[in-house]
Amino acid sequence: MSSRRARSRQSTSSSRITDEQINDLVSKLQAVLPEAHIRGAERVSAAKVLQETCNYIRSLHREVDDLSERLTELLATTEASSAQAAIIRSLLM
Amino acid sequence: MQVAEAFKHAFLKQMLLGFQASVVSPKSMGFQERKSAIKLSADVAMAVARGTRKWTRGLIAGLSKEHQNRSFLQLILGEQYERLMKPCHSSWKIPRCKKIVRRSLRVCCRRKKKKNQVGVLARTLVAKRTQELKILVPGGESMDGFSLLDETLDYVVSLRAQADLMQSLLTTIEASKLRSHSKGTLPERKASYVGN
Repeated sequence: MSSRRARSRQSTSSSRITDEQINDLVSKLQAVLPEAHIRGAERVSAAKVLQETCNYIRSLHREVDDLSERLTELLATTEASSAQAAIIRSLLM
Repeated sequence: MQVAEAFKHAFLKQMLLGFQASVVSPKSMGFQERKSAIKLSADVAMAVARGTRKWTRGLIAGLSKEHQNRSFLQLILGEQYERLMKPCHSSWKIPRCKKIVRRSLRVCCRRKKKKNQVGVLARTLVAKRTQELKILVPGGESMDGFSLLDETLDYVVSLRAQADLMQSLLTTIEASKLRSHSKGTLPERKASYVGN
């Protein structure tokens, strides 16, 4: 028991990561979530931020899957050369 | 938070390679196969565009675990494949901040737990979400605390950019199709520049 406590005390003192750094990350995460526009600067709990982050990642995965499907459909009916030209145009813009 | 211009360029370039590789493969590829190739190209493009991060390594490693992906990956990555597949040589661990996970696990071992009931619930939820995040973020299983949050933020920003870039590709290709169709029927317009 005492060794566990000693270890935890030790890791806290040697950890260079502060609470402030964690809070900073959590608030940055909050800022990239879709609800950020509505919320503004109002702080939300870390648990809520993490929950919404999980939901957001899942929805982004679905979005990319859907876009992959649409791109596949589109490319099936497009000349390879014009698809490539379109990408190159995007690169130049 | 936004990705850099360089990310967008690297992404599009890599997607171009992926498109070319998808076309070169036998035309007898079914829809699902072609979709998988496109999706694979998009994920590779995102990882390459971002550079070296824990999650990009995790992503490439995860993708190449599937045997059928490997030859496609080598094709579109070229010499970058070997470099990206190298195991992470840094066994040096960032001083683990287990604060988030540990606080939540150190639930009932302390005195005066009744006073801390609200705090305890919050910490348990955080631990639960942290576990979920480890599954959602590529390479997350080996990440902890601060590192996981940091990688998550970076990953989310990159995912958003990936989706936006794929959407703009769709739009651009559709627009160029419309233009090439209309050219044949309407009198030619003067340099209709598809700009902003």
